[in-house]
Amino acid sequence: MTSLLLDASVLLAAFDSEDDQHEPARALLEDDAVALATLDLARYEVANVAVRAWRAPDSAAPLLAAVERLADDSGVLSSSSALLARAVEIAEQHVISVYDAAYAAAANEAGRRLVSCDERDLVSKGLAVLPADAKPK
Amino acid sequence: MAKVMVSLPDDLLAEVDAEARRGGTTRSAVMREFADAALHRRRESRAAAMRALLKDASPHGGHAAELVKATRPDS
Repeated sequence: MTSLLLDASVLLAAFDSEDDQHEPARALLEDDAVALATLDLARYEVANVAVRAWRAPDSAAPLLAAVERLADDSGVLSSSSALLARAVEIAEQHVISVYDAAYAAAANEAGRRLVSCDERDLVSKGLAVLPADAKPK
Repeated sequence: MAKVMVSLPDDLLAEVDAEARRGGTTRSAVMREFADAALHRRRESRAAAMRALLKDASPHGGHAAELVKATRPDS
């Protein structure tokens, strides 16, 4: 069983038909052979992009519904002081934001592979894989 | 395969054992099968719900990761 933790960018790419990672992100969400989870931070981030970047507040509801479907699968992990302490260490080590590092810390804590569309700060540093590479070949 | 200790109420254990006898298998095999089936149902349910939600996917210009960063409070 492949167990994955998705960051907000994967959810957003799945709902944006113009995103480069749209098809693989969508395929992951619709795949019943993988166990999916996310971090509670994703709720804020998907809603924020829907409202402030997409200028499509109506898109927030289905995005948040998707987060809740992950809660029904392997869960929405909660940010805790311990998790953020680990995130701070990762952020320092890799020179990335604590937001991005929090997903990496959550994936590490849960023993899951982190999936992200963030090539610059997560994928290139070996902290995450792209949706297309999330499942073992 | 890992070995684990599991605490079960007596009546649930009796049902698991009855199922094992019925299927000519072991208590461990029944519990593995039930756990696997329950988790698979959960994943199937999520996948079906996602298919329904994603029917309404629409164009938003791409660059999801960059937009997440651009809309964070310290940006």
